[in-house]
Amino acid sequence: MITFENVTKRFPDGTVAVDDLSLQMPDGRITVLVGPSGCGKTTSLRMINRMVEPTGGAVLLDGVDVRTVDPPALRRGIGYVIQHAGLLPHRTIVDNIATVPYLLGWDKRRARDRAMELLELLGLPATVARRYPYQLSGGQQQRVGVARALAADPPVILMDEPFSAVDPIVRKSLQDELLRLQGGLGKTIVFVTHDIDEAIKLGDQIAILRQGGKLAQFDRPEQLLATPHDAFVESFIGVDRGIRRLSFFPAEELELRDDTVVPAAATVDAARQAARAAGESWLLVVDGERRPLGWLLADALPAAGHVGELDLAPYGHPFQAHSDSLRAALDSAVLSPAGRAVGVDQDGGVVGTVSQAEIGEVARGRAGAQAERSEADA
Amino acid sequence: MSDWLDWDWLASHGELFAALTGDHLYLSILPVIGGLLISLPLGLACVRWPRIYPPVLGTTSVLYALPSLALFVLLIDFTGFEPLTVMIPLTIYTLSVLVPNVVDGLRSVPDPVRQAATAMGFAGIRRLLQVELPIAVPVIMAGLRVATVANISLVSVGAIIGIGGLGQLFTEGFQRGFPTEIAAGVALIVALAVAADALLVIVQRVLTPWSRA
Repeated sequence: MITFENVTKRFPDGTVAVDDLSLQMPDGRITVLVGPSGCGKTTSLRMINRMVEPTGGAVLLDGVDVRTVDPPALRRGIGYVIQHAGLLPHRTIVDNIATVPYLLGWDKRRARDRAMELLELLGLPATVARRYPYQLSGGQQQRVGVARALAADPPVILMDEPFSAVDPIVRKSLQDELLRLQGGLGKTIVFVTHDIDEAIKLGDQIAILRQGGKLAQFDRPEQLLATPHDAFVESFIGVDRGIRRLSFFPAEELELRDDTVVPAAATVDAARQAARAAGESWLLVVDGERRPLGWLLADALPAAGHVGELDLAPYGHPFQAHSDSLRAALDSAVLSPAGRAVGVDQDGGVVGTVSQAEIGEVARGRAGAQAERSEADA
Repeated sequence: MSDWLDWDWLASHGELFAALTGDHLYLSILPVIGGLLISLPLGLACVRWPRIYPPVLGTTSVLYALPSLALFVLLIDFTGFEPLTVMIPLTIYTLSVLVPNVVDGLRSVPDPVRQAATAMGFAGIRRLLQVELPIAVPVIMAGLRVATVANISLVSVGAIIGIGGLGQLFTEGFQRGFPTEIAAGVALIVALAVAADALLVIVQRVLTPWSRA
């Protein structure tokens, strides 16, 4: 547990970088510090490993004031990842990863074995071990940076905009990788970013800071999206917070209807009857393995034949009924010509369809339940 | 060409050339090593306390502007007609190249690297020896190459006071009106400079396999 107790940082020129910040960062969770430049997020992070000393208040690590610990010793027990990786250019990748174990006095063999283990954990080929940093791409260097932070297995990891300098595709894969690793490792991670989407994706809890180092709001991401405390937080989060918040609710809660689904082998008559029974004008046609083929408008059916022979409207992209979020379901519904989302199972077989209105109802229900719960918490 | 070059003389003086080349190397390389030993702590101090860098740089530049011959003559009273009389000025000259290179080298450590090193728990002398100095090596080596080549050329001036390695071939050849000897001196000095530079390039390649260039 990392605790900020009324922490203030005033620089000699009078600038206040962090103003009376109190926060608790629980063990095994990712706490994100996010805000515009000049909000003191990096300064706050660096007060944890004493790269910056507070001028007021205290930072406690498991109840111990970090100022009572010798900086080098403190830092060797805290992983650190920064933008541009900051790898030692004159050391090979394996030795870069083993840096902190070497500093801790591990013998060379054990340190290198550990480094090779981490190389594999981070999905890097063993062949990069003997290379130098300049021979790696930016994304690979950043992976090495993460591996290096994990090498001595520290309980706490500080990450200062670690993925800001790589392209969006690499950034996404690094974020996914971090979440995957965190699932197995359960580190106490403090993550600084200026990107609210990254904060929402990665954070178990998010501290939004405003200029002058003042805490604007400290909440779980879905709560932040539901109830921003003030206009600053609301504008920082962005306009589509209602939609983005849906990504925290599972699509599993939707009741998918399969009475709007007809097999390609069905006759036109059968389809007409199905539409009437369901009270819907659009039917989803599926093949023999229940994979979606396309949408059929029941009002425009010919006199005879099978539905599989007709021109179908494209079904867009389906969502995973058991693993996607309400956001994915809504996206699928919005893109569908029928206004209905297609839910599929892991094998791509149609489970059923659901309308935008039905998704909206479930979302409102979730929001209501959560508001009540947080009132009860308070 | 064969008119003014006395090939027989060249062929019969191999031992002289070898001895003078040895002297020349000794006279030019020792000052580079001495200069490096002075420049390292001086450069470190200039990085640590940036305010002293301009006066240090100014002083080394002024010293570089002093004519070598004047310095030799000045030093004779203290050190006599000894190799030291030539090596002291040469050592002083190397400072004007090596001090800025040590400073630039140490400053070439990228900020994220310095930061990451600190955050991982490198401190004090360990950070200097394991992170900052190794990263400064390519820039310092560039300075060593310039200083070495410059010294190999400058040593010959010492011949005027009788301590000039291969430079002696110039003074003697001039006094005797014997162009072959002068030509031999020029050729050997150029060859020595090229060889020393090539050797330093190889040393740098071996020391810094991590450097792109």
